[in-house]
Amino acid sequence: MGVNETLGNVIASYPQVRLVAFADLAASMILASQGKSDFTQESLNRLCQQARASFDDPLFSLSVEAFGEPHSAVVMEADGLRVFLRSETEPADALCCICDHSIDLAGFMTKIRDTLDQISANG
Amino acid sequence: MVDRAGRNRGGPELGRNKLVNKAMIPIVARLQALQTVAQVNFGGARTLADMSDPQPLAALLREVNETVLGRTLTFVSGTGASIALEVAGRRVLRLVTADGVADAESCLATPALDDSQKDALIKVLQAVAARGHDLNVTSQPIGREADEVSVGLPVALLADLLLIDLDALPGSADAPASTPELVYLTRAEPAGLAPAGSPSQSEIIPFGVAQSGTLLQRFALQIGPSFMAWLIRGGADDGVFFGPDEMVSHLGDFLDSDGAALMVQLDRIATVPGGTVALGLGANLQDGHCTICARHGEGLLLGLLEGETAKLLPQAWAAAHGNG
Repeated sequence: MGVNETLGNVIASYPQVRLVAFADLAASMILASQGKSDFTQESLNRLCQQARASFDDPLFSLSVEAFGEPHSAVVMEADGLRVFLRSETEPADALCCICDHSIDLAGFMTKIRDTLDQISANG
Repeated sequence: MVDRAGRNRGGPELGRNKLVNKAMIPIVARLQALQTVAQVNFGGARTLADMSDPQPLAALLREVNETVLGRTLTFVSGTGASIALEVAGRRVLRLVTADGVADAESCLATPALDDSQKDALIKVLQAVAARGHDLNVTSQPIGREADEVSVGLPVALLADLLLIDLDALPGSADAPASTPELVYLTRAEPAGLAPAGSPSQSEIIPFGVAQSGTLLQRFALQIGPSFMAWLIRGGADDGVFFGPDEMVSHLGDFLDSDGAALMVQLDRIATVPGGTVALGLGANLQDGHCTICARHGEGLLLGLLEGETAKLLPQAWAAAHGNG
């Protein structure tokens, strides 16, 4: 299964997901994405920058100090969520998602972790 | 020099203006902890903390940390609550008795405490080491062979979870001061995801702040008591906090030093610069603990969330906006 097909599987499983993208955080680049509507390259670049900023200081340092290194981030605004998940084995690999508030976050995190592991494993 | 209740007892000071090799600090803290405590009460009880002590829980943990041989330590609070702990090798082996302390049953029932009881034990310790009351301790032989040193809960783990530095010198800059300027919300029943202003929510706020609080406070209250420590700085809810003093104090220190940088970080992730936004960071947002930072107007919320409830964040955020 290709990366786009794997990402499309997430969209199919969770109707609350508007976009799921596979990113290289080290290069600040979205490598593949699937969504219910077209997102401009500019908006994809912005999403990747937001993912990097989420895992940045000072909150990252506080999290490490309190609970250990975080690999997941959720950004909440009035119109929806952005969920970012970093690979534990390939730190630059990440999934960036835009969702509705009504999403089952626990189930969704399991789904995208499996998805990210699958993509990272296939290199 | 100060005793472990924070009283100045004369002698050389080790304050922030003195030059001290940093490696000496844990050693000096140990020596101070071992010194004779000035106040000895009826029955041989020693006073670990008095009413003005900002961190009685830290004093309790340090007492456990100084106990290497097997002992039964009985802690008695001025509130009337008391617990007896079997302690050895800087570990809490067993909770033997608990009087006047709620929800201690799970710890009392277990013959040897383990990792699964750490949260419950922390709540028991917090209950007996209440701020604003004396805390006394008596030490007795353990009454049985303490051969379970390999089990129990290390006091260092409990201190880490409570963000308490066991080696900090009492009264030093490393020992957080009290935060009397803040409003204290007592620990309450779970808020669940009830809409703002519902009857169930009014029950969880001791002085009816849910209806008048800003979005940040409504968000925190929607999450419920699993949002174990939080603090709001700036805005209409400036100074409102919830949770153990030690943890809130640590959050306050962090906001003092990194509040401006946090605002910059939130600007980098917000769709609109200066806009309302919340960021949660955790191991997996499923069953691990989580750090939360949120901004609304001039207000900044910072807090620590217990595991298994991070999944509720989206609904709590939506409910705080009135969309729940």
